[in-house]
Amino acid sequence: MTAPGTRPATEPTAHPAAHPAAEGDLAPPDSTVLRWRSLSWLFPRRGALVAALLLPLIVVVITLAVMASSSGMSLSQTVSGLLGTGDPGTVMVVRDFRLPRVFAGLMVGAALGVSGCLTQTLAGNPLATPDLLGVNEGATAVVVASAAGSATGMVGDWWLGPLGGVAAAVLVVLCAGGAGSRGYRVLVVGIGVSTFIGAVSDLVMSRQNDSTAGGVFLWAVGSLTGRDWGVGLPLLVALLFLVPLSLTAGHRLQLLRFDDDMAAGLGVDLRRVRAAALVLAVALAGIAVGVGGPIAFVALAAPVLAKRLSGPTRVPVVGSALTGAALIGAADALGRVVAPVELPVGVVTSVLGGPFLLWVLFRSDRPT
Amino acid sequence: MSTEQEGAVQRTGSSPLDPISSQGRPLLGVGALLVVALFALALVSLLVGTGSSSATGAWHYLTGDPAARADPQLRLAVMDVRLPRTLAAALVGVCLGAAGCLLQAATRNPLAETGLLGVNSGAAFAVVLGLTFFRVHSSSAMLLCALLGAVAASSVVLLLAASGRAAGSPLRLVLAGSALGATFHGLTAYVLLGTQSTFDIYRYWTIGSLAGVKTADLLPLAPLAALALLTALGCARPLSALALGDDSARSLGHHPARVRLVVAVVVSVLSGCAVAVAGPIAFLGLLAPYAARTLSGARMTAQLVLSALIAADIMIVADVLARVVIRPWETPVSVLLALVGGPLLIWIARSPRLSTAGASA
Repeated sequence: MTAPGTRPATEPTAHPAAHPAAEGDLAPPDSTVLRWRSLSWLFPRRGALVAALLLPLIVVVITLAVMASSSGMSLSQTVSGLLGTGDPGTVMVVRDFRLPRVFAGLMVGAALGVSGCLTQTLAGNPLATPDLLGVNEGATAVVVASAAGSATGMVGDWWLGPLGGVAAAVLVVLCAGGAGSRGYRVLVVGIGVSTFIGAVSDLVMSRQNDSTAGGVFLWAVGSLTGRDWGVGLPLLVALLFLVPLSLTAGHRLQLLRFDDDMAAGLGVDLRRVRAAALVLAVALAGIAVGVGGPIAFVALAAPVLAKRLSGPTRVPVVGSALTGAALIGAADALGRVVAPVELPVGVVTSVLGGPFLLWVLFRSDRPT
Repeated sequence: MSTEQEGAVQRTGSSPLDPISSQGRPLLGVGALLVVALFALALVSLLVGTGSSSATGAWHYLTGDPAARADPQLRLAVMDVRLPRTLAAALVGVCLGAAGCLLQAATRNPLAETGLLGVNSGAAFAVVLGLTFFRVHSSSAMLLCALLGAVAASSVVLLLAASGRAAGSPLRLVLAGSALGATFHGLTAYVLLGTQSTFDIYRYWTIGSLAGVKTADLLPLAPLAALALLTALGCARPLSALALGDDSARSLGHHPARVRLVVAVVVSVLSGCAVAVAGPIAFLGLLAPYAARTLSGARMTAQLVLSALIAADIMIVADVLARVVIRPWETPVSVLLALVGGPLLIWIARSPRLSTAGASA
């Protein structure tokens, strides 16, 4: 039914007997039941605390990311620039150049985090990232095609990426014939389709000259260079739609630990929930890839970290969004200061994200 | 839905430890068929090539026709070009098929593939370092770099996964593998972004090819791979026990952490050999076990053997196709692998009686 062992953390850990609940309810130990007449809501205390702690962290990341540059800017200059009280030059640099890019990065990170959270929960498998749905390969294929088709060998407009990503994901779902049990069939078919699309791009690339190949490689590593409000604001609007929907879907996905019949007994059609979660994951990953390129590892690491923070029984949608945003914001800032040449954000996320994930996972040294 | 559930019920009917199940004899037939196919494909691989030497000429050479034996060009084509490639394809296939099967069973994760231990990205990083800083150019030096990098990366992953109290937990291995794999991948990208000349060589190495493989390169790897394969067969029974859960395995007298460690070492040796010969070929280690599992159900030994055979067959097909699709040029074998294997994986995943196989690994 499930892949045992890959998802011990999602097993229910609430023991009503071991935890004498205050009002005789069966709320998990880290939650409070809020009631208003016939409505009730399980308020995740630990998750909310984590979110409350992550938000100021993100503000710090924003400040540092705006500050980080080769030209150098003091903390007070940065803050006054952000608040609009500094000298006009600083305000312009901060508000028109640095902030939009940082903002776009945060949005991309949030989208990747939520998307990864949905796919990992769907499959009960930490390796199930949205890249397996063909989003990255589809976006890359379209970008390769645009570079190969243009006379200059330049990579085309940013919106080509999400278009290709979503097209590939639609192809995956069509080939899989629906979301299937536990979302596994979609993932396996996704691997097949993305490998196939990737091979076609490789084939096209091997016929290109080295400068085109280099340009596409730079894109395919994931970079936020030159992203402005024109990209960030549409992304924000999309997230304002997609994240609340993902929250709802994530809440329902908690029922995945039961089989379909029992879930139906609880009033949830899991097949529809799976399909909805899949669509949301694809849409989120698609726009993220379009703006930032296929930035590696955030979609895998952010939900794993968020789950670590917010407790085992949750589907950490908000936590994943905040963790993803913080990861990309920090990585982009680091990429601009550590080396003489600017490092693409994708390089930093994978070089530093790996050890960071390991440190977080292994520090507490519990069975994960 | 209903067919999927039926499949699940049928499979749980036969215990994974039961050696004499009702499916036993057909499986033997499938295995024999795959072996016959392997030899037939190897023959085709010796007969077909990019150069001017014809298939009939090669046939005469193989059957010992004196005139053909005297032809130096035929000898070059068959013995020095096609034979090593065929052997290499079979070796790489067997290694990747067995390694992928073992890794998926040990991590209980049907999405796990051989690159997971950091083998591929470690090898790629070592090759890039060698190209950039040590002026490595010959194919055997690159092969050495790849092998060293693969073994070094997987050792680090294994050490991390085996440390601490949660030693050897499947999730730990999976996460450690993908985390370090990502790190090496990022470091590779970092070096490549700085050096255009390395990138040019790297982008051909990384798509994987068997062109230019020499028998001398394979000879030192073959005993290593054979030893690892024997160990792998020895691991089959403990691994089946592990599929029942760690506690059950312990009560049957196995040591889950120790078994996983041995398996991980075997996997890293096997996929290290493969990546050294053919570059980082990621997909086969996922496809072949998936296909094998759909045929064999939960029985580990059968799964392992079938997976190795299937992978070897697919690898030779891909290599032969790589020589002919855009004659007279060669296509990278990994591209052909993806073009052939992608649709194949989709087909297997869609076939109704097989669709739960992935989730039950």
